[in-house]
Amino acid sequence: MKKTLLFIAILFVIAGISCTTADKDQKEVKRVITLENTPAKRPYSPAIEVDNMLFVSGQIAVSQATGKLIEGGIEDQTRQVLTNLKNIIEKSGYTMEEVVKCTVLLQDISFYAPMNLVYMEYFPQDPPARMAFAVKDLPMGALIEIDAIAVK
Amino acid sequence: MKKTITTKNAPAAIGPYSQAVEINGMLFISGQIPINPETGKLVDGGIAEQTDQVLKNIGAILACAGYTYKDVVKSTCMLASIDDFKAMNEVYSAYYTDNQPARAAFAVKDLPLGSLIEIDTIASK
Repeated sequence: MKKTLLFIAILFVIAGISCTTADKDQKEVKRVITLENTPAKRPYSPAIEVDNMLFVSGQIAVSQATGKLIEGGIEDQTRQVLTNLKNIIEKSGYTMEEVVKCTVLLQDISFYAPMNLVYMEYFPQDPPARMAFAVKDLPMGALIEIDAIAVK
Repeated sequence: MKKTITTKNAPAAIGPYSQAVEINGMLFISGQIPINPETGKLVDGGIAEQTDQVLKNIGAILACAGYTYKDVVKSTCMLASIDDFKAMNEVYSAYYTDNQPARAAFAVKDLPLGSLIEIDTIASK
């Protein structure tokens, strides 16, 4: 029994070592995308690029100018969110056509149809795959949050 | 090069999204809800029937793109009620039998068309 346990322990140690070695051999490929006005306090980056893939953080309808949630309903907020997403995507060297996947989080499922109308303006052709649903609450009391993955 | 996937064997999109997008050996499948592609309507029944229809829809899209359930690396399961977690798992396990994908599962406030479940999928090969 003791021998078996020892053997298992050794296996774990070997597995641990091989993982560490793999990490050391790996090149630094992750690129953090920042904007001039990215708040320093947030524990997430606007976007991360790795291997020609761009992961854009969920955007809410915060105005770049004021740093506050904009006034207005779901249409206005959707437009602001997609403007923010587009801004980050383009600053990262990608285009909206390269977006392959979005997640749309709504504060209320009744926003689904009006959100779609504005969303279409930003993805007029071959739109990305998407999941959309209503959540309990969003940060800052936002009506909508959208995150995205783009691939070159 | 980005390629959009369209199949009649899975429900048509109910919004401005593609059923799936493929690029560089990765397949991003839109969140599927339990619509029967033949009728265009939500299936009758509870969480078991709805989960089964969602996974069939995912299977049809995977097949159209040349992938299988074995190529799925990540699922996100959204439930209308967390009480459906166990029943969903039972059906889910029948489709993903071994080397199961990574997964996130949680209850949301509401799903499109009043569905009980929506599953989003990423596959890679």
